[in-house]
Amino acid sequence: MWVQIFLNAFSLGSFYALVAMGFALIFGVTHAFNLAHGELVLLGGYLAYWLTRSFQVPFYWTLPFCMLALALGALLLHLLVRKVREPFELNSLVLTFGVALILQNGMLSLFSADYRLVPAAGGPVKLPGFAAYLSPAQAWLLALSLGATAALYLLLKRTFFGKALRATIQNREAAELAGVPIRRMRLAAFVIGGSLVGLAGPLFGQMAYLHPAGGMEATLVAIVVTIFAGIGQIRGILLGGWILGLAETLAVYWGGASWRELVSGVLLILFLLWRPEGVLAPKRRAVP
Amino acid sequence: MAPGDSIYFRVLAMTCLYGALAFAWNLHALTGVVSLGHAAFFGLGAYGSALAVHYWKISPWWGLLLGGGAGAAYGVAWAVVFRNLRGPYLALATLASVQVPQVIIDNWESVTFGSLGVVGIPALPPLDLGPVRWDAGEDPRGQYYLLLGFLLLVAGIHRAAISSRWGWAIRAVREDEVAASAIGVNVWGARFQTLVSSAFLTGLCGALYAHLIGLVEPPLVFSLHISAVPLVFTIFGGRYQAYGPFLGALVLYPLDQLLFHAWLPAGHAMVYGLVIVVAILCFPQGIAAWLQERVKSVWS
Amino acid sequence: MALRGRSVIPVFGLVFLFVLAASVRGDEGAPVRIGEINPLTGKLATHGGEIHEGILYAVEECNEGGGLRGRPVELVSRDDQSRPEVAIHQAEDLLYREKVVALVGGYVDSLVGPVSVLARKHEVPYVASASLQRALTRQAPNPFFFRVAHLDGIVVPLCRFVSRALSPRRVAVLFAATPGAAEMAGEVREALEKDGVEIVLFEKFRPGSPDFTPFLMKLKESGAEVLISGGFFPDHLILVRQLRDLRIPLKAYIGPWGVAYPGFVKETGPAAEHLFGMCAWGPGIHMPGTDEASRRFVRRFRERFGKEPTTTTMHGYTSARAVLEAAKGVLEEGRDLAGEALRDKLAALDILLPMERLAFDSRGDPLHYEQVVVQIQDGEIQAVFPPERAAGEVVYPMEGAATAP
Repeated sequence: MWVQIFLNAFSLGSFYALVAMGFALIFGVTHAFNLAHGELVLLGGYLAYWLTRSFQVPFYWTLPFCMLALALGALLLHLLVRKVREPFELNSLVLTFGVALILQNGMLSLFSADYRLVPAAGGPVKLPGFAAYLSPAQAWLLALSLGATAALYLLLKRTFFGKALRATIQNREAAELAGVPIRRMRLAAFVIGGSLVGLAGPLFGQMAYLHPAGGMEATLVAIVVTIFAGIGQIRGILLGGWILGLAETLAVYWGGASWRELVSGVLLILFLLWRPEGVLAPKRRAVP
Repeated sequence: MAPGDSIYFRVLAMTCLYGALAFAWNLHALTGVVSLGHAAFFGLGAYGSALAVHYWKISPWWGLLLGGGAGAAYGVAWAVVFRNLRGPYLALATLASVQVPQVIIDNWESVTFGSLGVVGIPALPPLDLGPVRWDAGEDPRGQYYLLLGFLLLVAGIHRAAISSRWGWAIRAVREDEVAASAIGVNVWGARFQTLVSSAFLTGLCGALYAHLIGLVEPPLVFSLHISAVPLVFTIFGGRYQAYGPFLGALVLYPLDQLLFHAWLPAGHAMVYGLVIVVAILCFPQGIAAWLQERVKSVWS
Repeated sequence: MALRGRSVIPVFGLVFLFVLAASVRGDEGAPVRIGEINPLTGKLATHGGEIHEGILYAVEECNEGGGLRGRPVELVSRDDQSRPEVAIHQAEDLLYREKVVALVGGYVDSLVGPVSVLARKHEVPYVASASLQRALTRQAPNPFFFRVAHLDGIVVPLCRFVSRALSPRRVAVLFAATPGAAEMAGEVREALEKDGVEIVLFEKFRPGSPDFTPFLMKLKESGAEVLISGGFFPDHLILVRQLRDLRIPLKAYIGPWGVAYPGFVKETGPAAEHLFGMCAWGPGIHMPGTDEASRRFVRRFRERFGKEPTTTTMHGYTSARAVLEAAKGVLEEGRDLAGEALRDKLAALDILLPMERLAFDSRGDPLHYEQVVVQIQDGEIQAVFPPERAAGEVVYPMEGAATAP
């Protein structure tokens, strides 16, 4: 039984991480606080829904489609966000708040308020030797979150382009002085971040549900996981998601579903107090 | 029968309440903190007043002060617990801190009625001021005058936080904490004062809301909407102008309630979003800042 | 490409003035204006929209039949954004600027309450479509407030069903942290415990949780035979999927809200098989004697809106019909459509509609509102309890975790 609980906790955490990854990359590189993030995830989900329901496209094919579509969508958002002037972070927050309202109500009129589920790609599989089941959605979550984290890690650590991205995340001004093409980095961040959102969309439609007003939850998850892991700690997103997923699951199991939000909130605060720069950020050493 | 034009008084009254909420939020934001959790103070104020009036049978006027006090107490908790946090980490902590009062109130059914909420909250009783009877409870006109007065009070405090010596210290803290403390500004004091006054005033707003609407529920008064609205109004209106936050409320709220809703019953939110997007692109410092520029260029 | 800041303000100003001018209404002439306030945007938009469509259908049906003594009916709709102050503003606007003679609609009690207070103040009747909580008709008496539904209509048949048709020993209750669900859960627990049933689990969750697995593990451990799931449509979507995925042994799953919807059956697919739900009406589930009316409603609603009507749609329709019938009565007597006259007609109303025999008691509660328990069998929603309204047999225990699609 504990195997099942931990399995669920980690797939919940992977879900959180996957939802947060696109946001984290965009925020880390450009400091654009995208409050329309959840709506973009929903758009990916609606696209997957349409593909699977109308064209019987198998689930794994919806992923590349959605990644592409959302990369494009993020590009459009980038064109808008580029025009935002100082104070950038706060203005981008309010701007994307407006964009979220527009997208939400646009989806309401285009897709109607009906609740939708992206159909599951098969039944649950029993883990040999344990009294635990793994559903296909959970398997995808674990695989994709690990895969995306690995891919991002390789990109950031092993490629020259990734190095430029990391430089931009760590210190934009210094990177610019060092010759990194900041504008191209921002564009890349939006495009890659958008494709990560596209990766999360179909799974969001499977694990949760699709409704035009459902974006807020996804945005909140993204904000929490991103800041919790530490701004710019892209590789730490998965670990951060797992910690949160585990904490929530255990809290509900021991305390009851009505205390879930309190326990996650208090744990979040305790972690932040312990590591005020984000839980997985390296401790700042005093400048000599 | 209520006077026919009560709709305008009601909407303006709520505009004043939201304006006061925005002023109170900005009071804290002037020290450079973006709080995403002011709904905690609002909710504590609403529940503090509602429960105090319910159990102790005190006058709602005293309930308002108690509500403000409840908010202020939580503000003190923030000031102490979050003293080492900055930037987005502080913002996240404030966001998470809303859950503490919300979940406790939601679960502590025997005292707070839990998810059922408190219904039948008495309206503010009329005041007999000599020859004049001021009914701030049932009469929309009376409500409006009360909230207008409250708005002016909060606006005054907000203005002081910008243009007085206190405001100068706040600005120093906002721009560079380390430098400020190096030249002798009491950083801890400035942050503490603004936070606790902001929390008190926000709690007062919550208490007023409870007595105006007559009911409270946890998801209603602790909602993200309450935390987001003052932020949006302030950035829209102008963060560093004395009347900036209220300008945001004045433009957006009546426009939405009286015009957009009537024009597009289902699509009003889209127009609202569009207005915000356009305003942020055209007036990045807020409308008040733009107005200031125009006035200056006209005068010079 | 910067937008010229200077030109935006005058443009906005002109648009503002234009729309303001266009929205000022002169004296109404012949049309009878009815106002409705529902959640049209936000999380509750699904059901708010259904109520709106039901009301709109009733108004259009009336107009097609010649209106009210020749006078066409006009429906003015507003969104309450799920916030009480907005509901109050929009209600005031409907009453003052739009000059409606009656109000209908409403989905959540925390918004219906404030609007009902306004209705009393302005002496305009308000027939709520979906209010449930007791407090609304128990606190101050409100002669201008009526509603077509109430909580008893759900709790009583539900408890009877569990005790008589299922007779489990251990029942688990899960409910959403909303006033209506909390009230229902509390009353159900009381009633079932009185009947000797053991409530092994009683938990509250906040709607929006994406994961019920820890609760489901506890459910498995508790050995509960029946789960009463007091959540809403989207919560069931997640909960049922996880229930099946984890192969939780359960003999019955009852969702008083959100299950008896064709949309739910469609989205959940085979996993919905043998789930229990409740509804006041459905295609094929109607008051005896309203066969023709119910079928016509379904057919013409489908033609008009291109979708299936649901029990929520019917609540909207029923509340609008109440107002329209009362208005017709007043006009037939040659009187003016003033608040008092309309109110008196509503209080004396007694008509048979597909959803219920509509008549109100002295507090405004419906006299004959009772939901039926349904079960999803072969992808269809079948009424199974009470026996006099059942079209199918109760399948209990339900098929063990349904096989994968």
